[in-house]
Amino acid sequence: MELKKTPLYQKHIESKAKIVDFGGWALPIEYESILKETREARKSCGLFDASHMGEIRIEGKGALAFLQQLTCNDISITKKGQLQYNLLLNDSAGVIDDLMIYNVGDSFLCVVNASNIDKDYTWLKAHQTAEVKITDESPQTALLSLQGPTAVNVLGKIAKSAFVSGLKYMHSIEEEIAGKKMLISRSGYTGSDGFEIYCANSDAVVLWDEITKAGKEYGLALCGLGARDILRIEAGYPLYGHELSDSISPLEASLNWVVKFEKDFIGKDILLKAKAKGIAKKRVGFIMEERAVARQGYAIYAGDKNIGEVTSGTFSPNLDKFLGMAYVDCASSAPQTPVTIKIRDKFYKAKIAKFDFIKK
Amino acid sequence: MSVLKFSKTHEWAQVENNLATIGITDYAQKSLGDIVFIELPALGSKVKQGLQFGTIESTKAASELFSPLSGVVSEINKELINNPQWVNEEPFVRGWMMKIKFENNNELNSLMDEAAYKEFVKKEAH
Repeated sequence: MELKKTPLYQKHIESKAKIVDFGGWALPIEYESILKETREARKSCGLFDASHMGEIRIEGKGALAFLQQLTCNDISITKKGQLQYNLLLNDSAGVIDDLMIYNVGDSFLCVVNASNIDKDYTWLKAHQTAEVKITDESPQTALLSLQGPTAVNVLGKIAKSAFVSGLKYMHSIEEEIAGKKMLISRSGYTGSDGFEIYCANSDAVVLWDEITKAGKEYGLALCGLGARDILRIEAGYPLYGHELSDSISPLEASLNWVVKFEKDFIGKDILLKAKAKGIAKKRVGFIMEERAVARQGYAIYAGDKNIGEVTSGTFSPNLDKFLGMAYVDCASSAPQTPVTIKIRDKFYKAKIAKFDFIKK
Repeated sequence: MSVLKFSKTHEWAQVENNLATIGITDYAQKSLGDIVFIELPALGSKVKQGLQFGTIESTKAASELFSPLSGVVSEINKELINNPQWVNEEPFVRGWMMKIKFENNNELNSLMDEAAYKEFVKKEAH
């Protein structure tokens, strides 16, 4: 099967990116060096093509009530121009997907994982109520993510109004760049300051060029999926397929803050029962005490007891540490708990840690 | 006089008398990407031509290292363990991995010289 291409594919080729198959998408894993890109995105700023992500618009009089029922966070508290991290849960309270919901006033824009677009859309359609319109806008929407401390300077240079630099975290505005209308939010997947910019496919190249031109004096680096993954691990953000799945609940995923029991939603009863009973395993971070990359699937031990497994692991160039995330028995989940991780045939020492690694 | 030989699995061997210094090629480090971890064999251990002698990990994946020659490990590049980026920076100099005393000169003939290896890489890249 031929790989899907984003409107920026040719740009990546011109920039000599290494292209990989990422869930059916031809995307850059790196341009020059994953570690260099990871450092520069944290230190100055990085530009990512995230056009593979999905955008599903929910509109109509029943949109709010519909989303309230389908998601576990409380979207009713958002005002126009705000966005919220949220989860779609199935009937067993497993995570169908994690998503960002933009309240843009007359509708809600759900930004979902590329690999889950079809699954999410099918689930939403199956629960569609009267006066709700559901549209998959993914095929015609591009997404560029500009992340890092100098991102604000870069965007300030190319955005039409000065308002962009005053935009608050988890807020969005409609704005013109190069004469084209775009949706800009102060948000991202790196844990640093940054912006995500949505535009029509046909405007993506112009936006990319504007950003790279303006970014020259602010140390902008083109960043691939490799850097994106390390940056999100450094920030302790879960990734669907690693830390999240249809059989993992938000309580196990340590995403309790996203679950609002004051309202009704699919999966609530199951979660209430699980909460009362107590969960057996949960998502934690870990830091290696020795040089070694612990990757997804590697077993974790406390003494000689297998207590869980790694879901993401990497070398962090910004912290100069080997670290990652894992699911472990709650009894062994406290920060500082000494554990060992089996890598190939050897056991390497590690410690359980809070997963917002860069905040320490 | 020393000769430089190459394996199909992209390791190089700098051979002088019966001592061979072993590392991976520039092509190999470029395809692996940023190296973050290297595991090397113990001193005195035996390695076999074509078989694994260690592990190398980049930001992308873990890969096996295959010995281009059979022999006994007489030295390892200990500093490389804490400076794995040397493999990216200078794969033929500071990025060397181990030295082995090898026994079988016939094995040398199964390796490629530099010109043959360049041709081999050209074909593999397409």
